[in-house]
Amino acid sequence: MYRLLTPFDYFEPQSVREAVELLARFGHRARVIAGGTDLVISMKKRQLTPECLIALAGLEELRFIEFDPVAGLRLGPLCTHAEIARSPLVREHFGMLATACNEVGTPQVRNMGTIGGNLCKAGPSQDTPPPLVALEAKLRLLGPQGERVVPLDQFCTGPFCTVLSSDELVVEILIPPLPPGGAGCYKWFTKVTVTDETLAGAGVVVVRGPGDVCADVRIGLGSVAPMAIRARKAEALLRGNRPAPGLVWEAAERAAQEAEPRSRAAYRRHLVKVLVNEAITELWPLTADLPGGLG
Amino acid sequence: MKVFAGFDINGQTHELGIEPHQLLIEVLRDHLGLTGTKHSCGVGNCGACTVLVDGVPVLACMTLALAVRGKRILTIEGLAGGPELHPLQRAFVDLGAIQCGYCTPGMILTAKALLDRNPAPTAAEVREALAGNICRCTGYVKIVEAVLAAAEKMRGREVAP
Ligand SMILES: Cc1cc2nc3c(=O)[nH]c(=O)nc-3n(C[C@H](O)[C@H](O)[C@H](O)COP(=O)(O)OP(=O)(O)OC[C@H]3O[C@@H](n4cnc5c(N)ncnc54)[C@H](O)[C@@H]3O)c2cc1C
Ligand code: FES
Ligand code: FES
Repeated sequence: MYRLLTPFDYFEPQSVREAVELLARFGHRARVIAGGTDLVISMKKRQLTPECLIALAGLEELRFIEFDPVAGLRLGPLCTHAEIARSPLVREHFGMLATACNEVGTPQVRNMGTIGGNLCKAGPSQDTPPPLVALEAKLRLLGPQGERVVPLDQFCTGPFCTVLSSDELVVEILIPPLPPGGAGCYKWFTKVTVTDETLAGAGVVVVRGPGDVCADVRIGLGSVAPMAIRARKAEALLRGNRPAPGLVWEAAERAAQEAEPRSRAAYRRHLVKVLVNEAITELWPLTADLPGGLG
Repeated sequence: MKVFAGFDINGQTHELGIEPHQLLIEVLRDHLGLTGTKHSCGVGNCGACTVLVDGVPVLACMTLALAVRGKRILTIEGLAGGPELHPLQRAFVDLGAIQCGYCTPGMILTAKALLDRNPAPTAAEVREALAGNICRCTGYVKIVEAVLAAAEKMRGREVAP
């Protein structure tokens, strides 16, 4: 690894429109930089040597946190992990996302790193995708051709790969509100290293419906597949049923089978089982008297 | 291509010709001779390069210099603001929270940001705030003690100026 960067041209667009125009002009030769906590390292390693960097940091229009009971939460991609983790709106409505953002890196990394950068990096062990896929988040993308909205579970196409084309930006993260009787949490285990990279993570949402059955359950898994995935077979076992301890354990085992860890597979699968079982067991009693959703 | 930009470092304005690929750590250490900011891992793990930008701890080894032009940058050299050490520096010296000293500037600046926001932290809050600053020497116990002692001193100073 090198300690310094190689030269590049540098642009500070004054609007999102201008940023997209610059991307369209330079295409693959350009990269956008948000917090830089991933990109600068890739550039020091010479994995990436963009000819041109387009800095997003000055674009205040990409930095917002808004909640509406019908539309849900709208997050600007430039919000840092620290801003999201301490946001009263996020903590009240989607505490599981605040938990995940507070788990990223170190305090300094959370002050610099953004949620948009976290999602666009698309590493398998990134912490915000598991809770966000469980919350069925969508991303609004903007390019020269206009806008499109992509569900997060269709955004990643593989490790470090997304559907984002070289002239598109993520301009908004949308999280629909949880239905009444819904609750969620994020649970994880880390590697024991200086940065405590996540070894297995589970973002889980449980919704209690009439008749005290599990009306809906969504299990997002991170670090155990090429990208964050939904454990849909495990979800199907629980949906419409009362989550008795035996059934929850069976679903947790099914989730572990759905995981496809590349390394330390047996251990990671075991962790998935423990995390999913614990999450659902803890969430179910919380859903008993919920007037609204509680992420 | 060089860009001329104004930097507010420790309360002084510097007009510097900067290349866009230069990192804040290079500008501080190599252009301005402010070698108090340490360069260690270079990848965001250790916190030795921590400086405060508008009061927030960030890593100078991963920050493009141009990205912080016009913002208030505080390095360890600007903390005391006179011949007297800042209470955090005093406490680190008095309580033996410094051994080799390589982590110290980053530790102290991170601690300053904590105390500005929370003048009466618990030991657990101090440890949490300093979680991104690695010390290979002290074992952290004396560092936490020094931050708590400085916090107490600074609270006292505020009630009786
Ligand atoms: C010491 C350390 C520890 C870390 N620990 C963790 C951890 O525990 N968990 C974790 O998940 N991550 C971790 N990270 C990774 C990193 O901090 C996060 O992924 C961070 O959120 C990246 O955001 P950024 O703004 O710094 O991205 P940048 O580095 O600025 O950008 C990353 C990529 O996304 C692209 N990009 C950024 N914003 C947009 C946008 N709006 N539209 C289109 N493309 C965009 C960039 O072009 C680049 O390719 C760690 C990093 C470090 C250095
Ligand atoms: S040198 Fe910047 S974090 Fe280690
Ligand atoms: S005193 Fe040596 S690294 Fe902390």
